[in-house]
Amino acid sequence: MNESWKSYQAGNFFDELITPAGQPRTAARGAIRLLQGLSVQEMADRRAAAELAIREMGISFTVYTEGGNIDRAWPFDIIPRVISARQWQAVSDGLRQRSRALNCFIDDIYNKQRILADGIVPADIVLESANYKAPCAGMSPRYGVWAHICGSDLVRDGDGRFYVLEDNLRVPSGVSYMIENREITKRVLPELFENYSILPLDDYPSRLYGTLASLSPRERRRPCIVVLTPGIYNSAYFEHAYLAQGMGAELVEGSDLLVADDDCVYMRTVDGPLQVDVIYRRIDEDFMDPEVFREDSALGVPGLMRAWKAGKVAIANAPGSGVADDKVIYAFVPEMIRYYLKEKPLLASVPTYLCMREKDREYVLNNLDKLVVKPANESGGYGIMVGPHSTAATRREFAALIEANPRNYVAQPTLALSTAPTYIDDAVEPRHLDLRPFILQGKDSWVTPGGLTRVALVKGSLVVNSSQGGGSKDTWIVEGKT
Amino acid sequence: MTMLSRVADRLYWMARYLERAEDTARLLAAYNHLIMDIPRGSDLGWDVLIRILDADTAFFRSYRVGNEQNVLKFLIAEQDNVSSIPFAVRCARENVRTTRDVLPEETWEQINELYLYTEEMAEKSVGRRNRRAFLEEVVNRCQLINGMLATTLPRDHAYRFLRLGHLLERSDMTTRLIDVGVAEILSRDGVDSAIEPLLWGSLLQALSAFGSYRRMIGPLIEADLVVEFMFREAILPRSVAYCLSEIRGELKPLNNHGPALRVLDRSRRKLARLDAGAMSREQLHQYIDDFQALLSELHRQITATWFNPHTP
Repeated sequence: MNESWKSYQAGNFFDELITPAGQPRTAARGAIRLLQGLSVQEMADRRAAAELAIREMGISFTVYTEGGNIDRAWPFDIIPRVISARQWQAVSDGLRQRSRALNCFIDDIYNKQRILADGIVPADIVLESANYKAPCAGMSPRYGVWAHICGSDLVRDGDGRFYVLEDNLRVPSGVSYMIENREITKRVLPELFENYSILPLDDYPSRLYGTLASLSPRERRRPCIVVLTPGIYNSAYFEHAYLAQGMGAELVEGSDLLVADDDCVYMRTVDGPLQVDVIYRRIDEDFMDPEVFREDSALGVPGLMRAWKAGKVAIANAPGSGVADDKVIYAFVPEMIRYYLKEKPLLASVPTYLCMREKDREYVLNNLDKLVVKPANESGGYGIMVGPHSTAATRREFAALIEANPRNYVAQPTLALSTAPTYIDDAVEPRHLDLRPFILQGKDSWVTPGGLTRVALVKGSLVVNSSQGGGSKDTWIVEGKT
Repeated sequence: MTMLSRVADRLYWMARYLERAEDTARLLAAYNHLIMDIPRGSDLGWDVLIRILDADTAFFRSYRVGNEQNVLKFLIAEQDNVSSIPFAVRCARENVRTTRDVLPEETWEQINELYLYTEEMAEKSVGRRNRRAFLEEVVNRCQLINGMLATTLPRDHAYRFLRLGHLLERSDMTTRLIDVGVAEILSRDGVDSAIEPLLWGSLLQALSAFGSYRRMIGPLIEADLVVEFMFREAILPRSVAYCLSEIRGELKPLNNHGPALRVLDRSRRKLARLDAGAMSREQLHQYIDDFQALLSELHRQITATWFNPHTP
């Protein structure tokens, strides 16, 4: 075993690759043995090779700063995260169940609102949510599916159990990095693949294409699919271009599209207007159609909602899908699963205190130092307070925020997030991580084998977002005895 | 192959700016060479470069005199005026940034390197000492990108719009160069005839056409012959006639090419009527002016047909 690994101590957390006794877990054994057999110099060389590959492949993301936008190289840790296929199967089933229930919920909310009438979910928190989009009422997209692409964030607690932390139903990103991470590992640690059967990931773009094509309003052998991006300055532009290329679809900006008098959507091409069947939108719905949502949006397409409601174009995810990824609504997902599917939830959710409830609020305000407080309506890890890591001043600030707007805050116990060995400077150290698999839902549903693992590179930190110094790991779902 | 109008527009401009950067560098290099041969006390000035590039207004907003230092600072070091090399390079780069998916992968890397090079070197290259090396390097790097595109891009719409931008910009720059010779001589009333062959020679050099001229026309540099050569020589890649005939070839496969083709054919007919030997200098100057107007008209027609088409 080389020096870098000698002092590895998983500590009080569940470590995904190493047992408390310091032995590799079964699924990870081959990989760990091989990595431990590399010399310190070899480890450093592999890391340098990975960094070079990332620059060459042009994998970047954009960080917004005061001095303008900066394209940063994608942060990547060479030690993969290994999960057994048997374990993953259960997670995958749970995610599909969840996606079905969430889609039933969205469809219900914009139509009959049975779940509100039956008092399972309080009507006011749904209908007064900023994510409830009244103009979508009465729509019923094909298969009753609204959120065709869902990126759910999973974490593992001290006992190694998977929990869903949140569901991203609007414009979840990260899938291109998941695929590229595998590509990098193949380049820099090819010998790792010799003794493993690892479920492949690179067919995601064709799966996505299949899901999107199944939504086309026109029966065509090859429907016209476009990826709608806010443009070069969006932090996920790399991914938009990546997916468009992977699907052989056009990458369009709002100004490339128009809605004609026949309510059909066309893209402006040098051969004249070309009718579009399916839009994979990567812009927020508020910016999608200035006629219906934000009038000041220069990114959107006037009349797009009209075209969608007329059934002339499919939009994924459907506008209005965000009503189900509110962090308050999150607390009700287990109820939805029982209500719509008559099934028991297969995946655990994290207990959630809703500050809008007086009793919950009181508990939250009295236990701020133990809880994680989140705004109901933000993503990217912004506006979150991690109680045990917070200062008294921050806690006072959050107490005031909660009192001022209780509907907008939820709190959850601080989970003992799992760790995995991560190569930091010259040593391998445990770091906390999460996992974002992607669930495709059209006529059928499908879950990526694994997902994007994000890792908090700062010792002890629980914040994994790449915009805030997080890194990432290749994630393996491996078959074989465990 | 679908080609979005926006993408076509950006490719077209990327090619125009790249050609503009190269041609401006060529022009400055040739003029830089010429000026060393001009007898002291001659009034052949640097401000002629500003006139070629139609930049009088912008230039005299910032400077009072069109001397060497000011003119070169304006064209080499300034980032923000539309006639400078760094400006053209930056615009070309911005257009590649958003069309990377239809271009060969190396394009972005190479244009980025050109950009970083001009960012770093422009300021230091205003003085005579580094000027020549800088201009040469800009020309070389532009050629590198063009060569890479020419040898790797499939001959589809993407290539077509790059070519259109390229050829149109090149014809425009060629006519501008010729007009300088004409205008310069106009303004001196034919007094200092010793300078004239030098001037025309340097213009030929700017167009990399000196050698070809000598081989195809002869060793004597005469204004009328140079004008005819640069406008009408069918097999010279930087002549106006050659560019127009290539543009025609690129327009043909495009849908709705009727209106653009009509403007193009008008330009070609006008070209056929050129008789430099029989024209006075004033007439020639007027002719070039009219010709440039036709090129602008062609640009407007391309823009209207393919980049901003009317909605159905």
